[in-house]
Amino acid sequence: MPVNFDNAATTFPKPESVIMAARRAAERLGGNAGRGGHELAMRSSAAVYSAREYIADFFGAQPENTVFTLNCTHALNMAVQGVMRNGGHLIISSLEHNSASRPAFALAREKRITLSVAEIYPDAERTVESFRRLIRPDTKAIECTLASNVTGQLLPWREIAELCRERGICFIADGAQACGTFDIDIGEGIDILCTAGHKGLYGLSGTGLLISSGKFPIAPIIQGGTGTASQSLEQPLLLPEALESGTLNIPGIMSLRAGCEFVKRIGTDAIFRHEDGICRRFIAEIRDIPGIKVYRSEKTDYAPIVSFTAENIPPEELAEALSAAGYCLRAGFHCAALAHSSLGTKNGTVRFSPSVFSRPQDAVSLAGTVKQIVKNKNK
Amino acid sequence: MNICIADMPSYTYAVKGEKLLKARGFPCEVKRKSSSGGGGCGFTLVIRGSCREALKVLDRYSVPYTLQGGGG
Repeated sequence: MPVNFDNAATTFPKPESVIMAARRAAERLGGNAGRGGHELAMRSSAAVYSAREYIADFFGAQPENTVFTLNCTHALNMAVQGVMRNGGHLIISSLEHNSASRPAFALAREKRITLSVAEIYPDAERTVESFRRLIRPDTKAIECTLASNVTGQLLPWREIAELCRERGICFIADGAQACGTFDIDIGEGIDILCTAGHKGLYGLSGTGLLISSGKFPIAPIIQGGTGTASQSLEQPLLLPEALESGTLNIPGIMSLRAGCEFVKRIGTDAIFRHEDGICRRFIAEIRDIPGIKVYRSEKTDYAPIVSFTAENIPPEELAEALSAAGYCLRAGFHCAALAHSSLGTKNGTVRFSPSVFSRPQDAVSLAGTVKQIVKNKNK
Repeated sequence: MNICIADMPSYTYAVKGEKLLKARGFPCEVKRKSSSGGGGCGFTLVIRGSCREALKVLDRYSVPYTLQGGGG
């Protein structure tokens, strides 16, 4: 079995409890949640509510403000398009994933909003100042990742949230690379938290979350069946159903609940310590290899992600050689054009991202393989 | 025993209301809305006992509902 160090894309392997939860759902939850009053439908509805309640509590939210989505991209699109529906000024960071930047630029291109991009620096104060000076009277929302999916850089999101709170601006947070590794509580100033279910929360792919503080209305961008008010031709506006048109991914939702339980059982501190330790060990092993550049600064903190490049070896070529040796790492631009532009990595990077199941000895072996590939290339 | 039926905007709010009420000793249950209720399919919260007090609990926790019948 190849060794997976591409857990920032999706975690693998999954905990046994997650697999079992999805299997049990497929076997027993055969009714359509929220549709119909028969036994099978009500059983599925109850299971979905229970998962919603558990996950809401996990993030310090209310169940009715916890929306199941297909992934983080789906959640971010609903959040930004829903909040910015009537126009206004939006600020995003220069480290955003395309799931945030593409919808934002599309809205700006169509002249439905005005858009500013705040440059991110290793220094937190400078970053906060970068957002502060872009705020205008018509600024409606700031959309910002909690941790870069390219370098793992943690943004000073609590300070950015405070900026938003002081000015009545909606703070939309992309938690894809932070949830499950850090305690994220929307009570700390996040108005809309969007995250993937299949990364640090260990659910199956096809799962995501949009969690609202309830302070800012989110107009639905997808409309359809919700199982309620069926004779009305208008989409219900109350969460969560307003944003959950169509049949829910019940096995996925059950897997996501089991994933959150798994994270809670181990604890985010322990998960972070384990993964961060592996990242530090990997960096220590590759740092002195001639031509290797690691994209980290002493001035900032990082989620457990390491981006690096090797002189004279394009990232894709290096990742291909590593794949041939049994290591799965992602090379290229990681769906984050803005971030790579900001970093100046014109060919992209190779990204190393462990999970709670990763082993330090595999990171050491991987570093040895990197060293060998670089040595062979520079012969 | 008094019975009142509250139309709930969604299953989520119906169960939230049910949990809040049961935790405070109000007997109640979530039922699928009958087709004669108007507005199409949905869920109701059937509350037995002191409906006025029960509805006050829903109001206090901002659980939206529309009272269908019965009384406190």
